[in-house]
Amino acid sequence: MITLYAITDHPTAALPAGVGLHAVADGELSAVCGPAIAKEISADALWAHERLVEVLMDGRDLLPVRYGTSLPDDAAAARALEERHGTYAAALERVRGAVELAVRVFGEGGGASADDPSPGERSPDRGPRERSAAPDGRGDPPGAGAAYLRARARAAAAEAQARTRVHEPLARAARATALAPLPRAGELLRAAYLVDRDATAAFTARVRDVQERCPKLRITCTGPWPPYSFAGS
Amino acid sequence: MTTVAEQDVALVDLIDRLLGGGVVIAGDITLAAADVDLVYLGLRAVIASVATAREQGVLPETGSAP
Repeated sequence: MITLYAITDHPTAALPAGVGLHAVADGELSAVCGPAIAKEISADALWAHERLVEVLMDGRDLLPVRYGTSLPDDAAAARALEERHGTYAAALERVRGAVELAVRVFGEGGGASADDPSPGERSPDRGPRERSAAPDGRGDPPGAGAAYLRARARAAAAEAQARTRVHEPLARAARATALAPLPRAGELLRAAYLVDRDATAAFTARVRDVQERCPKLRITCTGPWPPYSFAGS
Repeated sequence: MTTVAEQDVALVDLIDRLLGGGVVIAGDITLAAADVDLVYLGLRAVIASVATAREQGVLPETGSAP
């Protein structure tokens, strides 16, 4: 078995030595492959994979491949490239010269809106949802349904505000964006931004600017990442 | 220099990308669904630690530059 790391269209560029990488070409496209990796997932294994893709990304445009993708042999990798050659070539054009930045936004109190006045309901995404999971709601205190609806409305308003105050100004500094449809509990926004390689400093400056203007939100920004969120068709 | 909280933030973003993004080559992902579930179990623990870090005020006020 072989592991696939990335699809690139720089088939002649030298691969980093010493880690057993080789390229399988189909026309101008090539798949960067390596020895099969262990099936267990650990943070160390994920970071090792990421570091390798980042080394490849330094000097190449590439489409990162989903972690854990393996194929029987080089012939299978060549067939995979051939079958979707046009799709991969088009995706590479979309990400050419760009990297991905990840942004998440948290409100105060784990997702409640910043002006939530009620300390007893500071986690509307968690408490009410757990209660509503009880069989047909029996055992809920009176008014729990209405409290849940109020909490949901506050959470929805906070998420909309995060999109307006954080996502929209950041999107204007990006080539493309990918919004996660459902932020996790505590998150108001989870988004990826495709940014020109030479514009990442301007993008993070804009993140800091938005953070200063929205002191009640907590904004995290990581990257630059390979364009994982923009590699699909 | 990065704090533990910053590393947790980056790990969540890493897992989202490696396991939820990237080119999918149909039918050839060798990870069983159970494996991915285990990773997300771990992920929930990471999110909890981020929340704890935020309560303790150690999460950076501004986005950490790449």
